[in-house]
Amino acid sequence: MGGVGDDEPASKRMKLSSEELRRLSNGSTLKEPIVGSSRDLMARPLQSEGGEEVVGSKGVIKKVEFVRIIAKALYSLGYIKSGAHLEEESGIALQSSIVNEFMRQILEGDWDESVVTLHNIGLTDEITIKSACFLILEQKFFEFLDEEKVMDALKTLRTEISPLCINHSRVRELSLFIVSPSCCFSVRSPKQDTSRARSRIELLEELQKLLPPTVMIPERRLEHLVEQALVLQRDACMFHNSLDKEMSLYADHQCARDQIPSSALQILQAHTDEIWSLQFSHNGKYLASSSNDCTAIIWEVDANGVSLKHKLSGHQKPVSSVSWSPNDHQLLTCGVEEVVRRWDVSSGECLHVYEKAGLGMVSCGWSPDGKWVFSGVNDKSISMWELDGKELECWKGQRTLKISDLEITSDGKQIISMCRETSILLLDREAKVERFIEEDQTITSFSLSRDNRFLLVNLLNQEIHLWNIEGDPKLVSEYRGHKRTRFLIRSCFGGLEQAFIASGSEDSLVYIWHRDTGELIESLPGHSGAVNCVGWNPANPQMLASASDDRTIRIWGLNNLSAKRKDTRSNGIHHCNGSS
Amino acid sequence: MDVDPRLYEQIAVNDNDIHNIVMSYLVHNCFKETVESFIACTGMKQPSDHLEDMEKRKRIYQFALEGNALKAIELTEQLATNLLEKNKDLHFDLLSLHFVELVCSRKCTEALEFAQMKLTPFGKEQKYVEKLEDFMALLAYEEPEKSPMFHLLSLEYRQHVADSLNRAILAHANHPTYAAMERLIQQTTVVRQCLNQEHGKDGPFSLKDFLKS
Repeated sequence: MGGVGDDEPASKRMKLSSEELRRLSNGSTLKEPIVGSSRDLMARPLQSEGGEEVVGSKGVIKKVEFVRIIAKALYSLGYIKSGAHLEEESGIALQSSIVNEFMRQILEGDWDESVVTLHNIGLTDEITIKSACFLILEQKFFEFLDEEKVMDALKTLRTEISPLCINHSRVRELSLFIVSPSCCFSVRSPKQDTSRARSRIELLEELQKLLPPTVMIPERRLEHLVEQALVLQRDACMFHNSLDKEMSLYADHQCARDQIPSSALQILQAHTDEIWSLQFSHNGKYLASSSNDCTAIIWEVDANGVSLKHKLSGHQKPVSSVSWSPNDHQLLTCGVEEVVRRWDVSSGECLHVYEKAGLGMVSCGWSPDGKWVFSGVNDKSISMWELDGKELECWKGQRTLKISDLEITSDGKQIISMCRETSILLLDREAKVERFIEEDQTITSFSLSRDNRFLLVNLLNQEIHLWNIEGDPKLVSEYRGHKRTRFLIRSCFGGLEQAFIASGSEDSLVYIWHRDTGELIESLPGHSGAVNCVGWNPANPQMLASASDDRTIRIWGLNNLSAKRKDTRSNGIHHCNGSS
Repeated sequence: MDVDPRLYEQIAVNDNDIHNIVMSYLVHNCFKETVESFIACTGMKQPSDHLEDMEKRKRIYQFALEGNALKAIELTEQLATNLLEKNKDLHFDLLSLHFVELVCSRKCTEALEFAQMKLTPFGKEQKYVEKLEDFMALLAYEEPEKSPMFHLLSLEYRQHVADSLNRAILAHANHPTYAAMERLIQQTTVVRQCLNQEHGKDGPFSLKDFLKS
């Protein structure tokens, strides 16, 4: 609570304001009858006939409330004189005199008097009154124990607390405290885990929470309102892609476009044919790309940029997809209706080939613990293998199509696959439950969000749909603008807290949308052929990669010099950044 | 099970068995004089110290039932040393009886002191903490009879503790802890209930009705 932390200054503060109030009620004219005699004050919102005064352009802020929370904020910042001045000048008292008296009594430990005052404040709810009494008497009880006045504590318990007839389980706990304060083996440890009484300020805060806000204004109310506004601004900020940005109260928070990668920092040329797919490793240190030239390449990402690490040859067919192992030490590649290969990232060696006689693989993925490998097969089934090649399970039936994506949620529970042209299957492995996403159009590809809650689905008609897949799948957003007519185009989540959607397009541009609002933020030119796939670096929200029919990969970053410093990943991707 | 429930009429019962059963009941419940006259009537043999122990056990039981736990504890220690050490649950229950007495006679300070000295040491073990809380909660009410823990003040509770004590003493002396009579009735009830269910009769087995029939 503000700068003023302990008992003494607070009680002084209370005394000051009640003094001011006494002067006030002795003669100045008041605009509104707030400070009357204590008997007049009832705990209901202050109503004057014919509407109250309001402030602000929308007419929703009541002046009295506004002034009161400002006064409260002044006091909690320690500006006692200013707070008192405000009360005097505005004629609006922070609290009625009886409430001030009550607070003073609490802080000074006049328990019995405070209970009497409590009954005079004018609360109507019996339970609230009793609960407040309970809190006060509990404090009295603990303070006795602290002073080793055990019999006094016992007397309080027997004659004052128990007769309230509420919260019997707490009464039980209290009786144990009498006998032995150290005997607290209860696993259901009470909020106080020693018998030391909490501070009176804490008691006051508890009481403030209990009593209606019209009686006692909650602590830090103004700060809370301001924080609410800041959070809303941040959420509405379409380009918010950097933790460094601090929020200021002077102007609405709005990141400039320059936080979004929009400048091609590097062009990677190593493939000899169209590049169909790419994916960053989970730790953002590597990039894998796969191509029509039957190879896949592992690139290394570091402070100097992206460089070629290994070229993986071995497939006899174009490589349609890649998948990183959960620990990023290995990579799976899938040849079109061919085999799945498992590679070691540091050496570039092929460790294993997964195949099925007479059949071809169409997709591949890892189990979250890295122990099993999944693959879609062109007979429409999904197979699961141990790393050494032993086949464990096979889900038959209409599970997958000829060329299709395969995803497994990070808890290992769900397998997501395209099972028909217009639907995606969400298969719960344990519960054996199947859910479907049904679209009107043919689905060409999909990708899963990091938190497993959303699925991004690319459609034949050039729309990208965002589905919430918790519980029954629900369509949440749609993104348009890019071009897709003949080829398979992939899209992905990305940026800080995956707040953006990026996609390739047949018009050689890279498209970026703001996820929540659906607004198109960028369309980046540069490639000279259809952009088939994009990937956003999970460890660096300012790095984007795109793969194209023009046989190159472009690495996109920030448009200014400071981008160079921000190459290395920042930490707080998973935190709700406060930056306050 | 297609067995005629009246098969029992075919079973022969030995007189000695019946005597033993009756005796087990009398001994368990310390009916000393009845035991003596029963022995005289039937000509059974009983070891002599059996009667002495019975007398002591009876007194212990009575004290416990009245709530005079301290006396019960004292005599138990005399009769069977180490018994309470080995039966901590029982020891706690007996001490709690004394605590309850103090609370009922409104001797709060004494009760508190007694609890602090004798009961809280048990609190070091998790399983006693909840029991401890139950008893301490009695202190919190000016009228413990009206508290949520009022059942701890009841005769039933004292009886339960006294019974446990009785069984513990018997066990200590290597005697059966349950009278044969009791066991037989329990058996019969179970069997009868099974038969009733088999034959589709409603309602639980009633011993009273059985005895009248």
